[in-house]
Amino acid sequence: MIPLSYNVRSLVERRATTAAAVLGIALVVFVLSASLMLVAGVEKTLGGSGEPDRAIVLRKGSDNELSSGIEIGSVPIIAAAPGVRSGEGGGLVVGEIVVVAAMEKLGGAGMSNVLIRGVAESVFRFRPEVRFTRGRAPRPGTDEAAIGARIAGRFRGLEMDRTFELRKNRSATVVGIFEAGGSSFESEVWVDVETIRQAFRREGMVSSARVRLESPAAFEAFEEAVEQDKRLGLEAMREIAYFEKQSEGTATFIRVLGSGISFFFALGAVLGAMITMYAAVAHRQREIGTLRALGFPRGSILLSFLVESALVAVAGGALGSLGALGLGAVRFSMMNFDTWSEVVFSFTPTPQTLATALGVSIAMGLAGGFLPALQAARLRPVQAMRE
Amino acid sequence: MSLAGIAASDLMRRNRLRTALTLGGVAFGVLAFILIQTVISAWEIGVTTAAKDRTVTRHKVTFVMSLPKRYVEEIRRTPGVKQATWSTWFGGKNPLQEREFFMAIGVEPESWLDVYDEVGVAPEERSAWIADRQGALVGDVLAKKFGWKKGDTVKLTSNIFPGEWEYRIHAIYQPLRKSADRSMFVFDWDYLNQSVPERQREQVGWITSRVKTGTDPAALSKALDAKFEENEVQTLSQDEASFQRSFLGMMSAILGAMNVVSLVILGIMALILGNTVAMGVRERLREYAVLRAIGFRSSHVTRLVLGEAAALGAAGGLLGLAIAVPIVGGLGKFLEENMAAYFSVFRLDPGTAGLALAIAVGLGAAAGLIPARGASRLPVVEALRRVA
Amino acid sequence: MSEPIVRLRGVRKTFWRDREPVPVLDGLDLDVPEGSFEALMGPSGSGKTTLLNLIAGLDRPTEGSIEVAGQPIHQLPEGALARWRSETIGFVFQSYNLLPVLTAQQNVELPLLLRRLPRAERRKRAETALRIVGLEDRTQHFPRQLSGGQEQRVTIARAIVNDPKILVADEPTGNLDKGSTKDVLDLLARLNKELGKTILMVTHDPHAAERATIIRKLDKGQLA
Ligand SMILES: Nc1ncnc2c1ncn2[C@@H]1O[C@H](COP(=O)(O)OP(=O)(O)OP(=O)(O)O)[C@@H](O)[C@H]1O
Ligand SMILES: [Mg+2]
Repeated sequence: MIPLSYNVRSLVERRATTAAAVLGIALVVFVLSASLMLVAGVEKTLGGSGEPDRAIVLRKGSDNELSSGIEIGSVPIIAAAPGVRSGEGGGLVVGEIVVVAAMEKLGGAGMSNVLIRGVAESVFRFRPEVRFTRGRAPRPGTDEAAIGARIAGRFRGLEMDRTFELRKNRSATVVGIFEAGGSSFESEVWVDVETIRQAFRREGMVSSARVRLESPAAFEAFEEAVEQDKRLGLEAMREIAYFEKQSEGTATFIRVLGSGISFFFALGAVLGAMITMYAAVAHRQREIGTLRALGFPRGSILLSFLVESALVAVAGGALGSLGALGLGAVRFSMMNFDTWSEVVFSFTPTPQTLATALGVSIAMGLAGGFLPALQAARLRPVQAMRE
Repeated sequence: MSLAGIAASDLMRRNRLRTALTLGGVAFGVLAFILIQTVISAWEIGVTTAAKDRTVTRHKVTFVMSLPKRYVEEIRRTPGVKQATWSTWFGGKNPLQEREFFMAIGVEPESWLDVYDEVGVAPEERSAWIADRQGALVGDVLAKKFGWKKGDTVKLTSNIFPGEWEYRIHAIYQPLRKSADRSMFVFDWDYLNQSVPERQREQVGWITSRVKTGTDPAALSKALDAKFEENEVQTLSQDEASFQRSFLGMMSAILGAMNVVSLVILGIMALILGNTVAMGVRERLREYAVLRAIGFRSSHVTRLVLGEAAALGAAGGLLGLAIAVPIVGGLGKFLEENMAAYFSVFRLDPGTAGLALAIAVGLGAAAGLIPARGASRLPVVEALRRVA
Repeated sequence: MSEPIVRLRGVRKTFWRDREPVPVLDGLDLDVPEGSFEALMGPSGSGKTTLLNLIAGLDRPTEGSIEVAGQPIHQLPEGALARWRSETIGFVFQSYNLLPVLTAQQNVELPLLLRRLPRAERRKRAETALRIVGLEDRTQHFPRQLSGGQEQRVTIARAIVNDPKILVADEPTGNLDKGSTKDVLDLLARLNKELGKTILMVTHDPHAAERATIIRKLDKGQLA
């Protein structure tokens, strides 16, 4: 076996071309990791808000809260359905109104839509993951608002103690900023449900109803009971399933786009690595000839060059992944086409994204190094030494 | 033979494998660049091909919320407006193929066809559609996708309006301009209006006006919004390009990311080219010294290296273009037929092709700059001395 | 003999290795008469190549004046010096230095690219030069398809294609066997006699030196 230090030394010696190959692979890995991290972020944000023991009820046929509408009279019927947990103090059923409003983005980026959720006071018991980082919850019956941490500071007026217009001549004041485990709630504005009902003329309606079930297994019975009465025209879904459906389209879109682009990039970078490795072989013909003359078998020459190109790849993969990790602080704001409102995502690294990035980079190195390594292994010693 | 001839011989004879690999790398870069730019321009097609003489008026807060229908009459009475029509977003779905997204709208047929004159309908189909309150006008691409024919009765569901809705397809339209969305499902707004609960009646989604020649759409937009400023429901009017742009604005982050990615490709291409040129120059220092000895000036050497690098970029760019044309063509046909809602027009723009080629040449030359400098500054005597 | 074509006065050349001066030529005077065939001999490291490079305008003296063909070249700017070289000097190197990617004819044509000549004319001149060196049947060969002696003759063809007054040859036969050495020396002698080229040749081979009209010895920075 030819020692690894031999490869390292020769890589260092040709540092310019080694650097070019490493950078090429790093750029590919960067793009690939970034898109994987964004997919992970989208799934976490849109899909991560669900709990197995919660269910959501919408009007049949509407696939999101914005286009859904339920008579307020249906809410007690839903609450009474089998499988719904009963408990003192309420908080196990919430009926909410969801609307969107156009607001001015800060930094001259024009207008965009923000999702406004009319919530009952009990919502904070229903969603214990919600934590206030500043201020407090809005009081019922007031024009107070709580805003998600991720949109805070992104729109005019969406800052602590500032006011913004819910609609013309109807403003609300921000009294609190909350976090919700990175979910899309952090991109929403929460106002008392009655205030929203008046301001947006949704008398007698809610957009959705959510319930807490006795156990995840209780869902089937609940679903059957809710959907049984055709006149109500309701549809029940597990909250997890609902959120997964929400993230599916966007995540698939980014995944396809990201991996498609990375694929072509990778072809380019593999060719780049190949150029570098062929040059390495040409540069060291004499050495290879000498090694063969000394008795090293073909296999060990092949292996040595493969290892060398894998080293280049791992360096590139590490550099690219590191760059992508640097995106962790970047917030990526995008329209969610199901709710026509803006949701803020982050690039979320997971063990899988890192492993994929590293795996792909090693694969690129081996693909780029194989033919040159084969050429090196096939050199005839006498000929090689004469060059 | 000439300096260019020497450069060409260098490329073709010296290290063919390396030249080929480099060309391949550049070609893939150009291909990826073209694909990304084509996706971006496909999305921007709404903006770039927007009708100059149309204004869209919508609810000030969001286009998801509706306007009172009486606004249409008011707009029609406004000076400068030639014709106005309205549309209501139906959120339609084909229950047999729930996942296919398309645009279903309820409209007033006659005025709608006046305003949207890029929609081409045969005269007898047109009158048949207008005559039937439950009639539908369907884009050719959508009809093909769902296998619908004239005379079919079809059912849609909506994620906004409950129940099942039945339509008779009377007309299939063809696009008269390439900006036309070929997958719309257009039906009589009256049908919708009669069927919804009382309090949802007499509401429209957005109002599109065609302005008279000589009227500035932007000025008209302002006038319209001012007119409704004191009403219960305020409006936001935009010329069609701005309206489309506001849709794009929602995807600005993705567009931005894709442009960043385009730059990354350029980086990869520059690395591959630079690496190849630098290696070539390093191996040839002695030959450059000989050229200098027999009287060539350092500027000749610079030109030789840069020319070679640019030629490498150009050849790679052409190769990339040669691969991109059939790929974009095939992909475009597929997307236009199957994903028309997202990519109504997916074509290789000559500007994009030219830009890609220019970038390849430019990157080649740029990648040659540092090695060229090294080669031209070479101390001749020393280079000749090396490996005498 | 007529006016000297090469005239060196007080030429000093000092190299610097790190901070230490390496004096090579030490106040050299030299007159080379036009039309002579000179052999320059001397121990390795004595400065023969350095001297030749100075005369050919590849390098500049630390001190002193160099006049070649009536032109004081030690003060010419870089660009003018390059043009002057292409018109006045023909180079023959020990290791040929042909461009491997060009054919024999294209290699010979190279110096002509610096002149405004029609393509056909360039070709004709290159062919003539190759005929003079006896390689008219090898014009389309690449360097690696030629023997060492043939390669050196292509180099000589390249050196004379511009019709320079002076040929400088640094150990032109250093890499050649006996037969090829004789061919090359015969060729140089013929160019000297028939075309009147002034030839300055560095060599270690006493037999080669004997073909020259004048033999000079360089030692310890001085000409003997
Ligand atoms: N660039 C340089 N820097 C430092 N010293 C140099 C440089 N070029 C030449 N020398 C020194 O100058 C001296 C003369 O070199 P030159 O090549 O002229 O010798 P030469 O007579 O041609 O020898 P040879 O017969 O071996 O070719 C040598 O000692 C050499 O080391
Ligand atoms: Mg020497």
